[in-house]
Amino acid sequence: MRKSWMKGMLLFAPALIAVGCASYPDEATTRGLAEKMVSTDFTAPTPALLNRLVQDRSQQICSKIADAKLTQEEAAEVVKLARASIRYPSGGLVGDWKIGDKLAHNGAGSRIQRGQLEKRKENGGLCQNCHALAPGEINVGNIGPSLTGYGTQRGNSEPVAKLTYERIYNGWAYAPCSNMPRLGATGHLTPEQITHLVAYLIDPQSPINQKK
Amino acid sequence: MRMNRGFAAACLACCATWGTVAAQDKAGDGLAIGRQMLAEDNPGELWIEQGKALFHGLHGPRKASLERCDFGMGPGKLEGAAAQLPRYFADTDKVQDLESRLLTCMVQIQGFQHEDIVKRAVSPAGSNGSDVEALALYITSRSNGMKMNPPLSHVKERETYKAGEYLFFRRSGQTDFGCVQCHGEANKRIRLQDLLHMTDKKGAQEVASTWPAYRGGHYVIRTMQWRLYDCFWQMRLPELKYGSDTSIALISYLHHQGSGVMIKVPGFKR
Repeated sequence: MRKSWMKGMLLFAPALIAVGCASYPDEATTRGLAEKMVSTDFTAPTPALLNRLVQDRSQQICSKIADAKLTQEEAAEVVKLARASIRYPSGGLVGDWKIGDKLAHNGAGSRIQRGQLEKRKENGGLCQNCHALAPGEINVGNIGPSLTGYGTQRGNSEPVAKLTYERIYNGWAYAPCSNMPRLGATGHLTPEQITHLVAYLIDPQSPINQKK
Repeated sequence: MRMNRGFAAACLACCATWGTVAAQDKAGDGLAIGRQMLAEDNPGELWIEQGKALFHGLHGPRKASLERCDFGMGPGKLEGAAAQLPRYFADTDKVQDLESRLLTCMVQIQGFQHEDIVKRAVSPAGSNGSDVEALALYITSRSNGMKMNPPLSHVKERETYKAGEYLFFRRSGQTDFGCVQCHGEANKRIRLQDLLHMTDKKGAQEVASTWPAYRGGHYVIRTMQWRLYDCFWQMRLPELKYGSDTSIALISYLHHQGSGVMIKVPGFKR
């Protein structure tokens, strides 16, 4: 009796595997299928714009699925690549906070719709989408940390300016794979634009550092 | 032998988790109350009758209705069909979502040109809406009150689901965004716009049960295909093709994440 039951299980085991959980494709197969989809399923006004879909090494590492964690080696590689990516402007790191204020509240530029690339003089800084900015501003996102009082808390010394510049240019140098876009490294913002954002964040005159 | 038994048991346990359903509860914040009030008098309802007329009427170069279109339950059988999409279709040898399947039928049965339908699929804001939008809403509305539960029995359904999961977490472009950057945590907003937490069962269920939806700011019905397209636009990525495999994979992932939820369309969006 017992023996025949086992025999039955032996016969049925492959069938169970066939309908069951064992039949999900492995990671490499899934990646192959999905990457093939990405390479055929998008259009752009110019072939060069399709390159936006191509991942660089850091993006590949930072696309962990579900609860998969970065390994220490991967995190170190992302940090290393980020550090190497940072370029500095010819002038100082602290620009004009008034220009930075406008940039921080500008969420436009570089989008593609109906065969057209959105043409602007420059891309917006996108900050308002995700960060609380000046005190009392209501129309702000909360995906990233609040930046209200950024300069009040940290001061406006040279090291603070440099750190701030680098965190905007490529924040993965400090927080590998964080949600923060590598705004300078990917070319979304120019080094000069970033100096204005630095000023907006650390200048004592900036609205972000005023009391309510 | 013992190994085999253990393996079979593990498999059964794994299969059983597919059917589990998380209980839904209602968030009580002011915005939710406002949405509830709007949803109770949802202008989107108006498009259901239009979709019904389009479905049964004779249209296209072949002057045919869509009554021969098979959405998975048999030709013309719409009851509960949308609750089991995306799914594998043998005639196209593809996993298809509602809208890509609709496209197949409009081309094969009614004789429309694929390019023509796609060009008109997403209507201008403030217009009377497109045929595809009305049809997608009507067909989905025939699954109202039923639970979202797409099949995973075909190997291509499982491949599509896993590809969708991969794509949800895939980061690219000058903003380094994947879907999860905005939809991976609870209580997040872009400016004042609430974002659904889609790696959570409840958030995914909101996605799986409310599209097509009436979009207040556009005064028309919007579909899931449009929703995905618009996300990629905002992510600064190239334009997602209507009915593409990428879109179907993402929808498959989201519908499985949100399985078990009662479908209630049209949803109401800002």
